[in-house]
Parts: sequence; C-alpha cells; structure tokens
Amino acid sequence: MKGSPLMSLPPREPPLSADASLSLRFDDADRNLLARAFRTPSDGPLAWRLNGEGHRISLVDGFDRLLAWPSLRGVARYEHQERTVFRILREMHGRGILADEVGLGKTIEAGLVLKEYAIRGLVRRALILTPAALTGQWREEMAEKFSLPFAVLHSVRDWDRRPLLIASMDTAKREPHRRAAQSRPWDLVIVDEAHRLKNRLSLNWQFVAGLSKKYMLLLTATPVQNDMDELFNLVSLLTPGQLHTYDRFLERYVASADRRVPTHVSELRGRLRDVMVRNRRGIAFTLPPRRVHSLAVRLSAAERHLYDDVTQFVRDAYWSSSGRLPWTARLTLTVLQREIGSSTFAVAETLRRLAQSPLFGPDDRDRLDGLRQDAVAIASNVKASRLRTFLESLNEKVLIFTQYRRTLEYLRGVLEADGHRVAAYHGGLSPVAKDEAVRTFQAGADVFLSTEAGGEGRNLQFARTVVNYDLPWNPLRIEQRIGRVHRLGQEREVHVVNVWAEDTVEAYLIELLDRKIHMFELVVGELDLILGNLEARRPFEDLMMDIWVLRQAEERRTALRRLGESLVRARGQYEQVKERNDAVLGDVSEAVPT
Amino acid sequence: MSEAGALRTFVVEALAGLGATISEGGSLVWVRAPDSVQRDLEVPANFALAFEPEQSGAFDAELVAPGSYFLERLVAVTTARGRWDASRFEPSEADWVSAVLSDSGFGSESGVRPRVLAIEDGILLLFGFRLTLISDEKRESFHLIAVSPVDGSAWAVLPDPEDSRLVPDAPIDFHPDLEAAYRLANEAVRDETRAEVDRFRSRSLGLLEEEVRRIFAYFDNTLAGIREADPEGSQDLLRAVMAERDRRLAEAVERFDPKATASLCSVRAVFAPTARVRLEFQGGAIADIHVDAWSRRIRGLVCEICHGTEGPWSFEAKSEPRCGRCAATREESAPPRGHPRSGTPRRGTKAGRSAVRSPRGSTARSRAASGGDRGP
Repeated sequence: MKGSPLMSLPPREPPLSADASLSLRFDDADRNLLARAFRTPSDGPLAWRLNGEGHRISLVDGFDRLLAWPSLRGVARYEHQERTVFRILREMHGRGILADEVGLGKTIEAGLVLKEYAIRGLVRRALILTPAALTGQWREEMAEKFSLPFAVLHSVRDWDRRPLLIASMDTAKREPHRRAAQSRPWDLVIVDEAHRLKNRLSLNWQFVAGLSKKYMLLLTATPVQNDMDELFNLVSLLTPGQLHTYDRFLERYVASADRRVPTHVSELRGRLRDVMVRNRRGIAFTLPPRRVHSLAVRLSAAERHLYDDVTQFVRDAYWSSSGRLPWTARLTLTVLQREIGSSTFAVAETLRRLAQSPLFGPDDRDRLDGLRQDAVAIASNVKASRLRTFLESLNEKVLIFTQYRRTLEYLRGVLEADGHRVAAYHGGLSPVAKDEAVRTFQAGADVFLSTEAGGEGRNLQFARTVVNYDLPWNPLRIEQRIGRVHRLGQEREVHVVNVWAEDTVEAYLIELLDRKIHMFELVVGELDLILGNLEARRPFEDLMMDIWVLRQAEERRTALRRLGESLVRARGQYEQVKERNDAVLGDVSEAVPT
Repeated sequence: MSEAGALRTFVVEALAGLGATISEGGSLVWVRAPDSVQRDLEVPANFALAFEPEQSGAFDAELVAPGSYFLERLVAVTTARGRWDASRFEPSEADWVSAVLSDSGFGSESGVRPRVLAIEDGILLLFGFRLTLISDEKRESFHLIAVSPVDGSAWAVLPDPEDSRLVPDAPIDFHPDLEAAYRLANEAVRDETRAEVDRFRSRSLGLLEEEVRRIFAYFDNTLAGIREADPEGSQDLLRAVMAERDRRLAEAVERFDPKATASLCSVRAVFAPTARVRLEFQGGAIADIHVDAWSRRIRGLVCEICHGTEGPWSFEAKSEPRCGRCAATREESAPPRGHPRSGTPRRGTKAGRSAVRSPRGSTARSRAASGGDRGP
C-alpha cells in the first residue's frame, strides 16, 4: 500500500545520523584482551574451545525462528500465535496492533514477542500499561509463563529502578509518574485494552504518544468502539501516516456524517494489514459449546440459621453506629460473608480469629464466638451431599473448585470416603507437589479438587466438567476456572456445574450472571469486556456487597434489579461493538499460513 | 546432533570444565558444584538441570533453554574463560608437504615442480570474532581468522580444524606482536563479512527511509491542513505537532539505524611445522610460498583473475595460477561476483612480494603484483 497517490510524499532523505555507509566497528575492549593475552597462563585448550562454543551457541540470526518456546512454562504451542508473532517481528518490525478476538491469547502473543526481543538483547526496558485491575494478572503471567520478572509500579522511583515495569494507565498518565515515564527511553511498550486510546485528546492517548519507545504493541479485541475516528487514532499512535492524514482518512474511508460507517472497506483493510493482526475464532480455531447445570440446594435448618446469623452480624457491623468502618474491617466482613457461602468449615476458623480481634468490641466478639460454636457443631453440609449425588451420576474426570482450603479439606474427606481418587491442588503446595497433583489427575484420579490457584496455565483439557462448589464474587475468577478446560485444544462439549444455596449471595450471583447475561456460556475474555462497559466503575464484588448489606429486602431486590439491567446493557453494548469491528475489520489480517 | 542435543553437550562439557561433577539420569542432568561454580552460576551445591520445560518441575530442576537465566550465566562464565591459548600441532604424515601440495592442485599432473627450501617451526595466530548487526532485528555470526605473522596473510578458517590433535604448548616468554596481527585479522573480518554487512545496511536504511518519508508526509500535510484551516491559528499547536514529528523521527532512527560491531572473543597461537616451498611453473615462472601442516593452506599465491588467495589452484600451460573457482568459470574479463577476497595480502607485506615472478618480467608482472610491490 506504499506510495498511494492519496498522500504526496515529499522527497525527504533519512536523517543524517543514518550514515550512508555502514562500517564495521571493532570493540574498544578488544585492546584489553590483546594486552592481557599470553601474559599469564591460559585456562587450557578445553576452556578455549568452550569459549568458542559458548559464543556460537548464544548467537542469534534475525527472526529465522522463535527461540522462546523451549523456555516457556505452561504455554501450549498454537500455530496462529506463532504466525502472529512472526508477522509482528518480521513484517511489522515490532510495532503492531494485536486485535485477535477474545480468547485467542493476545497476552501470550505479546509475551512471546517480548521474550523473543529479550532473548536477542533487543529489549531491556519494557513497560506494560494495563487497567489497574489487571496489573497483578500480567505480573503473574509474565513471571510464571515467560520467566520475566516484571514489577508493578508502586512509587515514582520504580521508573528508574525497574527495567521491566507494569503500571496502570490511570496512575502512569498522571504526575509525577507521567513525567518520569516520558523522560526515559523504552525498548518496548505494551498497552493492554488499547481501545482506551481511542480519543487523541485524552490523557491516555497523549501519555502513550509522549513515551519514547522503539517497539510498541497495542492489544485490543475491539479497536473500533464507537466510530472510525478511534481506529485512526489508534493506528496513528503506532504508525502515523498509515491511514493518511486525518482529513484524508475521513474523505476516503468514512462514508458520511455518520462516522460509524466505513467506505472503501477493502482498501482500508489493505492498509490495516501492515499494522494489525486479527485472528478470529471461526478461522483460527473453534471452541466447543458450554452447557450450564445448576445444582440448587436448600440449606439444612442449622446451616440456614448460621447463614442468617452471620449475615445479620455482617449487616450490623457494616452499618455500625460508630461511623464508617475502617477498610480492613469492611474487607473482613466481606470475607466472612464469602466464606459462609462456601462452607461452615471455611467460616469457622475466621469466626474464631475474629472473636479475638481488636477490630470488634466485646459484644461483637461474644457474638462471633457464639457463631463459631454454631459452625463447628455442624458436621456436614447439604451442598456436599448434593455434590456426592451428582458425582455418582458422572462417569468421567471432574474439576471441582472452591475458594477455601478448609472447604477443600472437608470435601476431600467426604469424596475419598466415597471411594473417589482425589488429586488436591492448592497454593500451599510446592511446585513439585503441584506437578504431581496434575500428573495424578491425568493418570488415575477422577477428581481434581482445587482452590483458586487451580492449575493456572496448566493443561487440563483432558477433562471437560467443571464444578463450582462455591462462587467467587468476582466473575472473572469464575471465568478463569472454566478457562482451565474451555480453551484451545478442548474438543468436547464443556459442562459447567454450579452448586449454590437458595437465599444466599450466591443465588444473587446466579441470578445476575447466569440468568441475566448467560455468563457461563460466554467465551473466555468476553466477560471482561462486558464488565468494562458497566456504568459503575467499581469492582464487581464491591457492588455485590453493597447490595447484600442493605437492610431491607425490598431495597436489595431493587438494587439487584438495577445491577441486572446494567449488566444487560453492558452485554448489549459489547455485542454492538463486536459487530461493528467485524464490519470494519472483518478478516483484515489473519495470521494465515504462508 | 539436534539443537537441544548440542545445547546439552555444551552445558555438560562446560560444567565439567568448571570443575563440577556431572551424572546424567534420563532426561535430567545432575550436578554437584564446587564453591566457585556455586558462586559464579548462583546455584546450590547439588542441583538438577532439565532441557524441556515439562521436566523442570521435577526435583526443582533448573530449566536450560535459550533465554533461561542459567544458560545466560553459564555462557557468561564460559566466555570469560579460555580467552587465550597456545597449542602445538604435530602432523601424523611424514611427508605432509607433498600431501598438502597435492591437495592444493600442485600434484605431479599439474606440471608444477615444487622444491622445499626449508621446514621450520611456524606460528599462526587465531582470532575469534563475534559479529553483531543490529537495527530492528539482530543478526550475529562467529568468525575465526588465522593470521600468519611471517607473511602477513590472514584468512577465515572453520572453527577448530584439527583441534583434537593440538596439544597444549606455552613457550616461556612468548609475547607475539598481537597488535599487528589483530589489525590484519580486522581486515580479514571486514572482507569476510562485507557482503553481509552491506545487505543488512541496505535493508535497514530502506526501512528507515520508508518510515521517515511516511512521517514527514503525515506531519507536513497535517501542518499544512492546520495552517490552511486557520492561517492566524495558534503557533503553540504547530509547535506541538512539530515536536511530535521530531519524536517520531527519533524513534524511527532508534529502530532502524543499522549498527555493525565485531568483538574479539579469544586468541590462540598454534605452533606447527611450516615449509618454505619454491614452485617452478612450466613457463619458467617461479613462486615462493609458505604452507603449514595445521591449516594446510598455500600462502603466497594470488589468483591472476580475481586476486583471491583461496585454493585449490589450477594452471593452464604457461599461465599464472588461478584459484579453483576462476578456473572453473574461465571468465577472464572480470572477477566472479561475490568472490571472497579474504586473505589477499596487504600492500607492503611479504606475501605481496612473494607472488609469482616471471624471469621475463612482462606477462607475469601482471595483476598479482599490482596489489603490492612489483616483482624483481
């Protein structure tokens, strides 16, 4: 698409710094070796030969092949990702938009590009800009899968001290961080959720434009959120001129006053091909469908009594007459409410600790101790009985997730007593024990019983049934669980089984996530984009807690309905954006085999 | 050997060379490391190595792969050692001179009469260079250059020819003139890599030019549009756009500006029997050459067509020697494209003086002498 008559190219020469002749420069340090050689005894002929071997084995020859694969952990090798990485390295020279549809592994592709550059010594300083909620996830992925020790930005000194840095866009774009970030050169900048750079007048856009960077990757499944301007702004950030000047762009590629409608689409896609890769599920691969099953239970009288009492304590403490609760106390109450949703075994220990905590006054501590006694008096949970019945009807391997270690231990006892072979997996295990648990599950166990740490990045697609014994209030956590089996490589229909009790927070979650937006049938990654469209810019678990602590049932119902409507709107918005991107980008640039 | 196999072999040899005790058990390699290795490689006294990511979980094995921290440390330690060495080569054949001459095209059927003038203890200096080309990508290669201080010739050799037959030999008070030999090696590396460096430069500058033209086009047209829309408009806006343009230009240069560096990795002195031989050609011309038992290279001949010094050699009646490639092409009008010039004697060196001499002086004075001093 070069040399189009649409934009005149002035006869400019490259800057003078790019000398017309490239002379081979010999290292000044050579003189040191010349001065020292043969002045002292040598290390011997073997050492001399190994010196040469060491150099030869560490040579790199362009991007003839990807060097990173053998050093990655828990990363399955997919052709479309490999082709994408080659296109970024060879054809886009390190500057591109990764616009794969959700679930195709943009993070892996970006990590691979970064690792390839790092191995070759071409990237030493890298910055990843993400939404605040994703900084930890990026850090973990870079460390666990790519062995790249990124740090998350905590203070302005980190800009100097940390060559591999992850920062939330919202923090980085503001002073004093903005100045610190822009005054240092970066070899590679990765921007996740790059559709947030859609407006060139925004702080986000101007901050990224002001960074001094050699290579840059923009990650977004939806480059076009509203109108065509956004696409222009995104591409101009990366390669100004690729879509002409702004006026020319409008004249050529925008149909009318309605800037959402493109024209000369084929030509536009041709230009985008130089800077964008967009793999789509239908072409790169297809995922089998998900089926959702609901195992609703009615709590036993003792469990109901305990649940209601714990809830009442939480509400009382939340609306304490002594004023606004400290943050730690609010967090503690949330944990308490979440634990009682998991099992009586999970909540008992927390009740014991809180009954001795200075966070609460003497009356509250007495109340907490009474609740603890009620909890330990309950020997079995109805949810577990329902799970046992379900497992009797199942004749295949199953992954069971719970958030809490105590629930895990309780379930392990129950299931092993029933004759199940259980592979337990939790954060307290050593890496070796974790590997062993996965191997045991693969080899002979029929149950993989796991906490949140459950097999992140591990290949568990040989199973296809996921049981949510409890439901994390953060829907992305639920999605991560399902993503352990519903991912590239899964060939069978996936079953998601939710165990939940009536009249609990978990029932609210089912109402919102399953009945309102059919979350359990979404593709991994879509939920993130839907939640990003919510009007309320707060973590989902906080929204849930806000509703749950309302004292009047009617208030709770109203708030729940509002949140449900908001979720439905957010999903509708997502669908619209997806359609718009398909219309504009289509098959703009599949990393198709060549 | 597979790439993974080569990597494993190197790691095992390198660790053993550093004094570690190695035992290989299935897919893992077990290492008992002395204090110095523990310190240099930042490893415990006993540890396991894995060469596949799936195996690295077992026994907390350290993963060895391109880009892994362990391999980077090991390469750093290994390349910091063994930077110079002196060894001796003793040929196994009694009449190695005849064998080398025959291999180089001076067998009895060539019509050339060789006369060994002397066999002496000679020395070659080997310089290992790592060539690195960087722009938006990185290309590296390793070059081993042999330099003969006696005749001033320098040429590329394959890594470690006949290495297994070299025995350590470090003469007392051995202080060669490394500086002069290094300069010759530099020239040989330049010759050896010229084509590669030029290709790299053309590609990078082509990309840079394309990028720069696009940036100028975009910003110049944008500036023109702003001025046209509002001739009295804010100068601050124009300055901001120009600053943005300059930043983009700087980024483009940073990304595509090509750089080529070579760094000296190691030096080796090889002592080997070296013969001084007089070649008498059918037409009466003579040439004095050197040949050593280790590299087995004829030094002192220059191809009459391409000025190359690479054998094997070929002759036509009464003509001067031609390198094998020129003889094959039979193109006398111009040197073959891309023909290696590595090893061409430099102006003023002994090699230039030892090119073929004709008793009659006219024909054979020729191109061979034009690169250096004239013959007698």
